[in-house]
Amino acid sequence: MSDAAVRRAPGRIVRVLAVWYRHWRVYSNTFVANATPAVLEPTFLLVAVGLGLGRFIHQEFNGLEYSSFMAAGVLGSTCMYTASFESTYGAFIRLRYQKAYEGMLATPLTRADIFAGELLWCGSKGLLFSTIVCLVLALFGKVHTPWAVLVPAIGFFTSLLFGGLGFCVTSCVQNINHFQFYFTIGLTPLILFSGLMFPVQDLPYGLEYVAYALPMFHVIETFRLVVSGPAHSSVPWAWACPFVVLGLAGAFGTLGVRRMVGRLKA
Amino acid sequence: MHAPSSVPTLAVSARGVVKRFGELTAVNEVEIEIPRGVCYGLLGPNGAGKTTLSKMIAAVLPRDGGELKVLGLDPWTEQSEVKARLGVVMQGDVFDEDLDVGRNLEIYGRFYGLSGPAFREKVQGLLKFVSLEGRERGPVQALSGGMRRRLMIARALINDPEVLILDEPTTGLDPQVRHAIWGTLRQLKQRGLSILLTTHYMEEAAQLADRIGILFKGKLIAEDTPEKLIAAHLPPWVLEFDAQGQEALLEEFAQAASVERHGDRAFVFHAVEDTLRRWIAKGAFRTALVRPASLEDVFLKLTGRTLDE
Ligand SMILES: Nc1ncnc2c1ncn2[C@@H]1O[C@H](COP(=O)(O)OP(=O)(O)OP(=O)(O)O)[C@@H](O)[C@H]1O
Ligand SMILES: [Mg+2]
Repeated sequence: MSDAAVRRAPGRIVRVLAVWYRHWRVYSNTFVANATPAVLEPTFLLVAVGLGLGRFIHQEFNGLEYSSFMAAGVLGSTCMYTASFESTYGAFIRLRYQKAYEGMLATPLTRADIFAGELLWCGSKGLLFSTIVCLVLALFGKVHTPWAVLVPAIGFFTSLLFGGLGFCVTSCVQNINHFQFYFTIGLTPLILFSGLMFPVQDLPYGLEYVAYALPMFHVIETFRLVVSGPAHSSVPWAWACPFVVLGLAGAFGTLGVRRMVGRLKA
Repeated sequence: MHAPSSVPTLAVSARGVVKRFGELTAVNEVEIEIPRGVCYGLLGPNGAGKTTLSKMIAAVLPRDGGELKVLGLDPWTEQSEVKARLGVVMQGDVFDEDLDVGRNLEIYGRFYGLSGPAFREKVQGLLKFVSLEGRERGPVQALSGGMRRRLMIARALINDPEVLILDEPTTGLDPQVRHAIWGTLRQLKQRGLSILLTTHYMEEAAQLADRIGILFKGKLIAEDTPEKLIAAHLPPWVLEFDAQGQEALLEEFAQAASVERHGDRAFVFHAVEDTLRRWIAKGAFRTALVRPASLEDVFLKLTGRTLDE
């Protein structure tokens, strides 16, 4: 055989996209079953809490009626939960029970390719879901600026952030039940204290400064910038929030992939 | 397809390869050379380190020491390039349970950068090659053990590999399927593939392997062609019988021949067949027989003491 005929490994980008494609293939088989709850849940939240409870709340938040105030938070929580489930339960099951990764490792894929592809998939799911939720919001008249076309991109990076964070958790977890701690102790407070239900400025005891340190605050403010407009931001420096989200997405994404690579080596 | 003239001439070369898991040294300074086109049989008792060694060669597991080259490349630092040219059948079936039979092959192809109509045709050809046509759109969970192994072999061939690594490819299969797989492997060997075959079936090794290595507690303790391996370690003939209640006779035989005992069976090795036939008459043996010494005898002799220790 001449050297020209030797099979070469595909480049990194092709390999990572192939992993992405694997997830897409699996997912698209059960698209309706998977996407329906992911879209219905935020819709219920908006209808029940925003429109229902909101009728009793006559105060304006950040100059918005209650359901409009909630819109950004609904987008943020959708991405957070989508990416978190995929990168914790999803990744753990593939790692432990299905051994999907073991077969993939026999191909030119490296460990880093596998998890980079998976993170990319988390981002894509967030992109898709935030887009759909944004359309639902628009249907209810909760989208006030044309900058909302940026929602898919924000959804993508938000999901990279929470996907990376989820990977960090998965890389330490030995028992699938332990993810419950992450969801109740780690993620639920993010929903409650990051300005989804009420503005963080109203938090007592200086807790608002704690909120500023949470990634979710920056995610929600970023969504609020493009859905409601800068006039309705919680803080005057809200313009910085998108950059914080980008930075955290890069940092947690990289760290998460590294941690999972380390775990799969063992 | 693969002319022997191409450099390098070795499919696999290992020098002093070491793998540790904590305190345990699973692979201990192993030296192996597998020339191209050769089928190398790897034998060894459970836990000997066969899978660990195979995984290091398959660029799936990093090593802790030594030099390892696969097709002249380092399987860890150049893992993607190495894996692009390998086919691997792992111990235990690791399929993508979320994908059906056909997609398991199609998606795997993408990991090698393969797609398109010509590739899909190839997938059909491979399914046919392993007699799984018609199963394409079914779930992998619905396949029998034998079908799953055949699908594994088809998947390992998807990239036209130059080297095949097979870890117990026929364990747990019925004799028909096993023979069918041997036939498949022989065809592949004729096409010039180099094969590393790990097995617990001596017959499998004897039928397929050109060279055989015996791994024991992480060490390669013997290596040669099957015939030479037998000749080097045992006289050519063996008398085998039920050892219970034959202690006196065994002592007597031990004066003139080498005697081995594994469980309830006694094995008396001797250069001359007729001598052994005469000895049969000496005792009221149950199930006695005289036969040529086999690979299994060598295997038991070299590794058989584990259970007593
Ligand atoms: N990931 C791991 N972590 C810790 N120990 C391991 C790991 N993998 C293998 N071992 C140990 O290394 C030794 C060699 O295992 P290996 O699987 O290579 O044996 P084997 O020869 O393939 O055995 P078998 O015939 O049972 O398949 C065993 O003692 C095993 O317990
Ligand atoms: Mg093994």
